[in-house]
Parts: sequence; C-alpha cells; structure tokens
Amino acid sequence: MTGDPPPSSPHDPGAEHALRIERRWASVAVLIVIFLIVMAAVAGVHQATMPQLKLELVDPRTLHVSGEFIESNLGTAVEPDGSVTVRAIGQQYSFVPQCIVVPTDTVVHFRATSGDVVHGFLIDGTNLNTMLIPGFISTATARFSTPIESHMPCHEYCGVGHEGMWGKVKVIDKAAFEKLAADRRRLTCVD
Amino acid sequence: MLINKRLILAHFWLAFAGFGLALLLGEWQMFIRSPLHAWIGNPELYYRSVTAHGSAMAYVFPTLVAMGFGYAITEAALKRPMIGPRWAWLGFALVAIGTVVAMVPVALGHASVLYTFYPPMIGSPFYYIGVVIVVIGSWIWVALMSVNLYAWKRDNPGQPVPLAMFSNVAGSYLWAWTAVGAAIELIFLILPAALGFTTTIDAGLSRVFFSWTLHAIVYFWLFPTYIAYYTIVPRAIGGRLYSDAMGRLAFILFLIVSMPIGVHHLFMDPEVGSGFKFMHSVFTAFVALPTLLTVFTICASVEIAARLRGGKGALGWITALPWRNPIMLATAFSFIMLGFGGAGGLINMSYQLDSTIHNTQWITGHFHLIFGGAIVIMYFAIAYDLWPHLTGRALASFGLMRLQLATWFVGMMVLTFPWHWVGILGMPRRMAFYDYTDPALAAQAASVIASVIGGAILVISGALFIIVLIRGQLAPRVDAGPYRFSVAVHEPRRVPAALNGFPLWLALMIGLTVVNYGFPIANLAALSNTAVPIVPVGTGR
Amino acid sequence: MSDETAALSPRDKWFRASVAITAGIAIVAAAVGFIWLPPFQAGARFQGVWNAICQAAGLAQPAPTAAEVVTAGYKTTGVVFTPGMFQGAGAESVGRGATLALRCTMCHGARGMSQANSPNLAGQYAAVVYKELRDYKSGARTSAIMQPLVVGLSDQDMRDLAAYYDYLPRPPAYHPASAGPPPEIVVSGATMRNIPPCAACHGGLDNKTGSPWLDGQPAPYIKAQLEAFKNGTRRNDISEQMRNVARNMTPDEIDAAARYYSSQPP
Repeated sequence: MTGDPPPSSPHDPGAEHALRIERRWASVAVLIVIFLIVMAAVAGVHQATMPQLKLELVDPRTLHVSGEFIESNLGTAVEPDGSVTVRAIGQQYSFVPQCIVVPTDTVVHFRATSGDVVHGFLIDGTNLNTMLIPGFISTATARFSTPIESHMPCHEYCGVGHEGMWGKVKVIDKAAFEKLAADRRRLTCVD
Repeated sequence: MLINKRLILAHFWLAFAGFGLALLLGEWQMFIRSPLHAWIGNPELYYRSVTAHGSAMAYVFPTLVAMGFGYAITEAALKRPMIGPRWAWLGFALVAIGTVVAMVPVALGHASVLYTFYPPMIGSPFYYIGVVIVVIGSWIWVALMSVNLYAWKRDNPGQPVPLAMFSNVAGSYLWAWTAVGAAIELIFLILPAALGFTTTIDAGLSRVFFSWTLHAIVYFWLFPTYIAYYTIVPRAIGGRLYSDAMGRLAFILFLIVSMPIGVHHLFMDPEVGSGFKFMHSVFTAFVALPTLLTVFTICASVEIAARLRGGKGALGWITALPWRNPIMLATAFSFIMLGFGGAGGLINMSYQLDSTIHNTQWITGHFHLIFGGAIVIMYFAIAYDLWPHLTGRALASFGLMRLQLATWFVGMMVLTFPWHWVGILGMPRRMAFYDYTDPALAAQAASVIASVIGGAILVISGALFIIVLIRGQLAPRVDAGPYRFSVAVHEPRRVPAALNGFPLWLALMIGLTVVNYGFPIANLAALSNTAVPIVPVGTGR
Repeated sequence: MSDETAALSPRDKWFRASVAITAGIAIVAAAVGFIWLPPFQAGARFQGVWNAICQAAGLAQPAPTAAEVVTAGYKTTGVVFTPGMFQGAGAESVGRGATLALRCTMCHGARGMSQANSPNLAGQYAAVVYKELRDYKSGARTSAIMQPLVVGLSDQDMRDLAAYYDYLPRPPAYHPASAGPPPEIVVSGATMRNIPPCAACHGGLDNKTGSPWLDGQPAPYIKAQLEAFKNGTRRNDISEQMRNVARNMTPDEIDAAARYYSSQPP
C-alpha cells in the first residue's frame, strides 16, 4: 500500500550485525524450547501423571459375555495390596457403573474400555482424563485426598445422545468405604 | 503481474462465501446451547451443524485461500504467467464439487460424525468421498506450484527463488504430505466400511492416521498468514524485511517438524505407546521455534518501518507505526492472538498439563484463537491487500476495514477467553446441550453467555468483511500497479542451494515422519484383532 | 551436480548439520521416552529395560492374569451382535419363519400386530427379535409364557422368525398433532440424570443395533418393561444399557414415553 524505502548496499556492515542479533535470538528461542522439554521430562519423573504404560487389547463385542468387563465385575474392587481397582465401560450413552465410588487416600487404578464407539472419560475438577477406544483398555492411576462428588461427562462425541452421557464419581472417606466393602466385592454408588 | 485474476478471485469468493455460512452456523451453535436459548429439542441438528461448520472451516475455507493466494504469488513473485491455468480451474472445480458432494449428506443429517470422522461411527459414504475430492483438487494446486517453481528455476539458474514463492511452495508440500494421513484413513479404512465392503474398522489405527493430518493441517492453515507476515506486511507499512534467510529457515522448520508431532492429540489414547508420546511431545516443543524466529524477524521489520517514519526511543517507535493502515492493524491483532494461542499451545504439548484440559472447551477455545483469530485475521489482510490488484478497482473503505479487523479481534477474544475458562472448569466439548440449572454447571453460564456475545461480534465482523469486498467490486476502476512483495534489508544475491530448494527438507520431513509414525502405525496395522464393528450413523429415522 | 540436489549430498554442510541435529533430537527424545522415564513411571512394577522399551513402543501386552472375575448371580444375555449378521436372510428363511410364527399369532397377531397388549412384531428389527428369543431361551429374560414356547427353537429357527417379522410391513408411525409435541423425555432425555433422548437409539434421531422400534407398541407393555428395567427385574440388556436409562426415569416420564410411543390411529 506504500512504497519501499531505498535499498541499502548488500555489503553493508549492518548485514553482519543483523546476522549476529539473529543468531542470538535464535539461541534464546532454542533455549526456551529446551527448557519446555526439560520441564515435561521432569514432570514425568516426579510422576505428576504419565501416559499409560501398557497397550492391552479387548474385544468390544464380547465385553458383556466374558472377561473382566462383564457387568457383575464392574465397579470398585479392593486389591490385596490395599489399593483399589475401578473397572468401567463406556457405551452409547452411559458409563457402567453409572456412579463410581472410591475411597480417599488410596491408590486407585482405573481400567476402562468402550463397548461401541469412542468415548471420553473425564472426572470434573481433577486431571483424570482419558479416552475410551473400542478394542483397547485404557488405564490410569489416581489418588484422591478429599471427599468429593463430581460429574463424569463423556467428553468425546459419541453419537446423537452424547449430551446425555453424564456419570458420577463419589470419593468417600476411607473408613466409610471400608465399611461398604466389608460385604460387597464390587462397589458402586448406583442406587 | 497478475494474469489469471478471475481464477484467483473465484478461489477467494468461494472461500469467503463458505466461511460466511459456516460462521453463521458456528454462532447458531453457540447460541442454542447457551443459557440464552431454550433447548431446541433435537440434538442431531446441533451435531449436523458442528459437522458442517468444522468441515467447511477446516477443509474448504483455508484450502481455497491457500490455493488462490498461491496462484497470486506464483504470478506476482515469479513475474511471469502461471503454467497450467486450465489445471488450476480443474482443481478449483474439484474443490467446489467435493464441497457440494460432502455437504449434501451432512445437511440431510446422514453424516453427523463431525469433521474429525470418529470411526467406528460411519456416516454416508458421500461425505467422505466429498472430502477426498476436495483434497484431490488441492493436490492439483500442489503439483502446479511445484511445476511453476521448477520451470522458473530452469530459466533462472542460480537465482534465489523469491521468498514469497519459496514459502508458498513449502506450504504446498507441507499440505501434500499432511493430507496423506487422513487420505489413508478415508480411502483404506473408512470408505470400505461406509460403502459396505467391510463391517469392521480399526478405530485405534484410524485415530493414529488422523492425528498425522490433524495437527500439521494447522500449519497448512498458518502458511498464508506467515507468508503475509514476511512478504506483505513490511512492504505495506513502508518498511523492509529484516532477514530473508530467517524467513526461509522458518518455513523449512515448519516443513520438517509439523508432521511428526500429531500424537500429542492422542496423549490420552490407549493405542499409542508412552515412548512415542514423549517423542512427539519433544518435537511439538520444537514447532514453537519457527514461530519464535518469525516473531523476532517481523517485530524487527516493523521496527525498521517505524524508524524510517521517524520513530525514536527503545519502545517509542511503536507510536510512529502507521496504525491507520489495515495491514498494520491486522498484524498487531494477529500477533496478540498468536501470543495467547501459542501460550495455550505450550500447555497442550505436555502430557501432564494436557491431562487437565484434554477434550474440554479449552481445546475449542485454543484452536479458535489460533486459527479463527491469528490466522484468519491475516486472511482478511491478504484479501484487502490483493483485492485492488484482482478487481482493478479501488478498495477505499479504510475506516470500515479497520472496524472490521477490530471487531474480529475483540469478538475472538470475547469468544475464546471464556471458552478456555469453562474448559478449565471441566466443560466437555461438542455437547448439544448443557443443563445450567445443575449446581455444578451453573457457574459456567456467565462465561458461556460471554462467548455467545463474542460470536455475535464475529458475525458482525464477518458481514463487514463481505461488505468491504463487495464495495471493492463495485468501486471505480483504478490501476493498482504491479503487485509487489517486501524487499529485505539485505536482498539475497545468492542463497545456499539448501535454502533455495526442497529435496533435503522433503527428505527430512518424510524421514522424520517415518521415524515418529512408522512404528506406531505398523504395530497397530499388524495386530489382527483390533477391528471393531462399525456403528452406522443417521440410519434410523 | 544441479542446484536442486546439491543439498542432498552428504558433503553439503546444510545436509550434515540438519540431519545431525534432527537425528540428535530424535535420539535424545527416544532415549528419554523409552529408557529414562519408564522406570520412574513403573515404580515397583519395573521389569527391566528391554521390557520397558517394548511397553513404551506400544507392543500389545497380555492382560494381568491373576485378577479374579466376579460373576453375576443371575443370567445375563449371551448374544453377541456382529455387523450385518442378519443381512441377506433370504425368502426361504422368511418362509420358514412364517410357518414357525403360526405359534405366535395368539398373542402377537396374525400379521405381527398384537391385539392383546403384547408387543407388535411386524417390521421389528431382526436383531431385536432374535436377541429376545435367545434371551428367553437362555433365561436371561424371564416370562412364564415365552420361555416354554422357545425351549424347542433352534438357533436357525430364531433367525428365521426374526427374518419373518423383519420382513412384515411396519405399522405407520402415528403421533397425532393434537396430542401436542413429543414429550421431552423422548426428544431430549434428561441429560444430568444420564437419560439420553429415547429417540437417539429407538428411531427418530438414530437407531442403535439391538434397540427395538417402539412406534405403535402397546403402552402397558412399554411401561411394564421400563419398570422392570428400573427395578432390576429385567436384566437382559447388554451391559445395563437400558437399566441405566430406566433407573433414573420418574414414573411420570415412564408414562409419558409409553403413551407417546403407543399413540394409535383412532
């Protein structure tokens, strides 16, 4: 829209100067990038949270017939080592169990998969967030310090009923959980 | 020297027409699921609209802008008629036909699978075929860019390729390779299922192929914007480009590191190993490098313009800039949005921070800010800059242009900041309805209303943009003179072969993609028992 | 050597620098991602470097073996849907089904249209009829009337019956405008109670394999089934799909849905 100023000579000593400044800036940029990567690696070391370790397969057609995802085996199980394992599935348009109950101050392992399409698994107010892909088992580990009651919406478009796919998570006091677990092998908070 | 003006105008008009319609759909979506509107009682209409909005904005609009701008650059930068205008018209026709073929089933509700496809959901085959036709049309453009570059190089041995053409061809190669991931997904996985040849699909493998395209496509959208930063902005504001070589380097870096980073979209997915997730995370960090280099070079170029205009002081020169010039204004807005959007992107790139916001409204806010904001506002600037040269008529509504750019900027900020915020609060994306009466969601209502207002401002801005262009078509004839690009402070007499051509960079681009994607793809493809039943969409009415 | 390929020579400094830097980054990133991070992540479960590399690469691992599986104290459905399992059922199958269906006319009507508050079967999806027959036979779904009738049916018999009813013309949907708009539970559900729209699976918005066509079904039947799902006396839905929905429905919503789907031509 306006014209160029007159060009400077190509052998201007300014050219050398410009190159030096450019190099300096490029080095700063590289350092910024390296800082970010180191931060990501350090966060990994301190186990802020990490991608799941293993790739495990499961047939979404037969989830309800056999294996660890049959309906009677879903929910929260107490493990011999004191941790708990939550098994859950996503399907159009609900999670099973519809309400997940876990104790405070306990290592919680989640194992979940999908029975049909891709779903998302997000516990509001936490960074527990994973995808449920049919054919694969998603795992995540968490530890909750305070009792909360959260929504657990599906966060990936899974069909026209997607907006109705809201589960619940209740983190309850460890002692109260142990009382519940005394006479049931798989716990849910579905009423 | 622009000869095929009608060709270029056709691309821009189709792009902006599609953009205008998709913009209206976007705002409608915002409105009907906000507390301002009662529930429409039909979620399918919402998902249909999201599919149309996404497909038009992601596949059609930026592709046509890149193609039209690419043809303009070819003629203006190489200063000779383009080779193959008939092929270019064929490419245009394919994009137009593909758009119609894809959009009809979407409009009828037979393909509400969203533009990201989401197998094992399978919609009407025509939707996917339409998208493939669009991509094939754009590949004709890729071939033409290459042919024109090499013909020029043959006739001008040893001469530096003008930066505008160099970056334009880099963008076309980026797109050619980027589109391969989704093309494989569509042709070998989705279409056989959509056409009824198979009844199962490998959902995990499909997602890996799509991630190959899904992230790098953003850099394809970004290329016209960066080309404008380097080759239009300094000239338009009366300055000079600080460094020609830095520009080449930035575009080359994009070419290499755009592709092998897409797995960061799959951080939360079970089908890719954690080692590859970390590798992609590292390269995602490196994709910030060309942007940081660009920010420096363009700020320096802008400072040159300011000082030539008598600007003084460490920061005082900023006031000397031609702020009434629409290109200057657009660039400043674009940089601000790029800054915020880039900061958000740095959060998305690490697994740990991403886990808080993955697939929430944060993500929607993020890519609207980067693409809809930083990138598209420069598309407007490109159109304003080129229009008099294409129409042979004056584009004189400077006040309107400034208003349009300012409203776009404000609208985008008001739209996306609350969007990011509700994402942090845990609002999942792409839901047709939110029940704001629920105590846990009530706090999000105010932010959602703010976003709707932002969207309304964007609709007004979009309308202003179309008005400015139409007025430009009706204005009195003028001679706009030859179309020129920025001149560097130190114009290159010779550049190293490496910075004047692509073989090395294409080899690195493909090589690095193979390193980062080869094993995850081969691993999943080799698993025999990962195909899952398809779930047809839109069949039960 | 041409200008074009000059940069592809290993002697070119750009070639050497760019390849070295790219490879260097990739190698360092891989070393961190595959070797350095996994032990921190696996903690006590770390089983050596080679195993860690295989896991980080995403090689499929066997599921943990020791985990006990709690089985249900009741029968659940054993039907596995595979896409297209009822496609191409020929006229022969329909004919056999028609003969077998003679035993069903008492309750389900001569042409699959019930006069007795039993479900209409005309035009019902083959997958639905087949699944329910299988579930009656296995005991996953209980009915004093149906169970004795299906006990002698072979798998092929059930497929033939399904093909026959699928083949019969479906009664036209009849929802008189005078009855007002469809109830909210049908078109919108109740999202925060995890009730998606009925129409998302049962036709209207979309259909999910295994979900029956409900238009024209008798209201008492629909209501009874929703109540049975709600109180857990019917449990043959795959992975609690319908129990999850019905559990959270109010009696009024159950009535409204049953009334809407049953609207009959006068």
